[in-house]
Amino acid sequence: MATAPLSRSLLAHAARAVGALFVVLVLWHLLTAVFGIISPARFATPAEVGLALRQITVEGYSNGRLYEHVARSVLLVTMGFTVAASIGVLLGLAMGASRKVEAFVNPIFLVLRPIPPLAWIPLAIVWLGLGDAAKMMVIFFAAFVPSVINSYTGVRQIDKPIFEAAAMLDIRGWRYWREVLIPGALPSIFTGLRLSLQASWTTLVAAELVGAVAGLGTILNQAAQDIYPAMILVGMLSVALCGWLMTLGLGWIERRVMPWKAL
Amino acid sequence: MANIVFENVQRVFKQNGREFVALKDINLEVQDREFVAIVGPSGCGKTTCMRMAAGLEHPTGGQVSVDREVVTQPGPDRAVVFQAFALFPWKSVWDNIEFGLHSLGVDAPERKRRIEQYIALMGLGGYEHAFPHQLSGGMQQRVAIARAYVLDPKVLLMDEPFGALDAQTRVVMQEELVRLARQHPRTVLFITHAVEEAVYLADRIVVMTTRPGTVREIIDVKSIRESENWDQHKRIEDVMDLPSFVHLRTHVWKLLRDQQGADVH
Amino acid sequence: MLQPPLEPARFWRLSAAGAASFLAIWTLAAVSGITSRDFLPTPWDVVERFGQLLTTPFAGYVLHQHLLSSLQRFAMGFVLAVCVGIPLGLLMAWFPWVDRIVSPAFETVRFIAPIAWVPFAALWFGTGIGGPVLIIFMGAFPPVLINTYRGAKQVDRKYIEASQMLGASAWRSMTEVLLPAAVPSIVAGLRISAGLGWQSLVGAELIVASSGVGYLMVKGQAAISTATVMCGMAAIGFIGLLIDVALRRAQMVIERRRGL
Repeated sequence: MATAPLSRSLLAHAARAVGALFVVLVLWHLLTAVFGIISPARFATPAEVGLALRQITVEGYSNGRLYEHVARSVLLVTMGFTVAASIGVLLGLAMGASRKVEAFVNPIFLVLRPIPPLAWIPLAIVWLGLGDAAKMMVIFFAAFVPSVINSYTGVRQIDKPIFEAAAMLDIRGWRYWREVLIPGALPSIFTGLRLSLQASWTTLVAAELVGAVAGLGTILNQAAQDIYPAMILVGMLSVALCGWLMTLGLGWIERRVMPWKAL
Repeated sequence: MANIVFENVQRVFKQNGREFVALKDINLEVQDREFVAIVGPSGCGKTTCMRMAAGLEHPTGGQVSVDREVVTQPGPDRAVVFQAFALFPWKSVWDNIEFGLHSLGVDAPERKRRIEQYIALMGLGGYEHAFPHQLSGGMQQRVAIARAYVLDPKVLLMDEPFGALDAQTRVVMQEELVRLARQHPRTVLFITHAVEEAVYLADRIVVMTTRPGTVREIIDVKSIRESENWDQHKRIEDVMDLPSFVHLRTHVWKLLRDQQGADVH
Repeated sequence: MLQPPLEPARFWRLSAAGAASFLAIWTLAAVSGITSRDFLPTPWDVVERFGQLLTTPFAGYVLHQHLLSSLQRFAMGFVLAVCVGIPLGLLMAWFPWVDRIVSPAFETVRFIAPIAWVPFAALWFGTGIGGPVLIIFMGAFPPVLINTYRGAKQVDRKYIEASQMLGASAWRSMTEVLLPAAVPSIVAGLRISAGLGWQSLVGAELIVASSGVGYLMVKGQAAISTATVMCGMAAIGFIGLLIDVALRRAQMVIERRRGL
């Protein structure tokens, strides 16, 4: 009895979403294809987008098929993000746990922090050229900062009584990290990871827009040069979809790792 | 001024697929310029009655009318004084009191006159430009009362207005409200769970039961108050000492207590 | 045990040591000759370059002219985001039908990274100012809208009831009740919004600009002048910091006025 209303509301929600999507598609089609209020040079009709999608999936565009671009971009983001997040979280935890580490690292961090991730792109290109290495460097800096900050605050906001309990139970060393610091900071760490992932993704697309051979950003770049609005839309939607899916994936991991947290 | 009429009012809630009768067969009339207090245990629905008169909630059966018009939505003709004051924190005392007057279309000179009148009446002189967070609870409630009165409403609805105040402030406010009510009589529906407060302030007391909420008994206080001349005593403690007061209070207590035992929580 | 704070003297000494170590390693690497000085300048080279950029034009203008150009675009995009976001957020909070129409559209567009709008920006505006402004708007708009909406939706029920009782019209309810109540949330949103807007600006200027700090960096990169690029990064970081500090002070002032 209790589950029936839940599935009914989910169904209603899904129906409403589909309905809204349908309305949008109809309006879009009317505005572009039928009435021409939005000129085709500037935007695309739904049909054109469909065709572009077909083209890139089957024949390929900008040096590859859609799945190849997606795979490449996702791979780069995952690699860069993992490296940056690992180092970042560890550093952040260390800074949170040790005032000395915090004091030492602080100035470097103060300088790095205000620099927007995208601002690393020109430097990366100068040092590493237009290839994947430069992308990784930019993703690293984009993902690094939020991970450090959030892990740091994660440690700092652990309730004092928890530390006192740990002291009373004489927990130290590795156990201290594994059973007190990390679980306590975990919610904040995951917030940082989420921000890092979003930053990684945005930065990669930007980096690919500036100069790359393949990847989702290159679709956008090529489509802009070719004046192909339909393909631009395909690129944008792919970027949005991938970003959304990766965030969902992270959320799934978060729920697995922190079952005790009411999300 | 106007009257409030509850005609066969019912209020049923749906919770988790089950129906829950909050109010049953409420029939009550608050006469023009009468001060009626509703007393009852927590959860008996007395606040819900007031909110229905205010138009903030609606009956599932029967109807509530003010001045022979059925209540459908809130409005400045049925001014409310909330337990939590509900003053806008970002507005000064003056602006808070003035807020409702804009809706009534009162022009500037008249607004000024009215606000100044009630600021003087409620002892808020000097605080016109203060903000609520700078005032004590008692002062804030005075502003809330001024805000309600300044609208010259048909009826005044008060939802445990002194419930959030400390004991001493509460007593002072009760004395002031009595003074105000005797000087400027209005139709008032006053909700409280404090029996003494009700006996002190009201012309009539409606005692409610709980689960479901119904009217148990309606007690006439005014006749006793006038025949025993309570108003000659300026201080609340002197009034509460009078045998007639004590007798009335005890009677109400007993009515409330009788149902406490039968309460299944 | 969570460590107690270090005494200020100790903290600053360690920080100075950290900074010094970093600069030392950097300088050593730069002078060691592994690469050219253009490729890896010393910290001092960068400072020198900064001074140069303030006096001699590079990529068309002097540094502060580039900065002004960037700030102008940022201001336009940010102000636009605020002027659209706040009213829309209030309307969505007050009128459920507005919410139902706008929310789905917003949720879909929101996930598109601002930078992904560059192709359309170029297509629609060419090299005009509209391009960067569009991208900045796309970055700055979501936080403003979301924070205004949430702030207004979370207004304590009692204020809504009081305003209804007092007979306030929809307009007055939105402007005199919802808006002031949502101000703390809105201001927090503005800070995030400014940060995202500034970041989006940088991205836009890397691609669709002919002036501005981002453009400066691109030209510096083309000339393989790391010092120039680093100056650009420093300028961007510094201005971004200033904007955030300014907004944070504004936030504190507002909160104090409200007695929060």
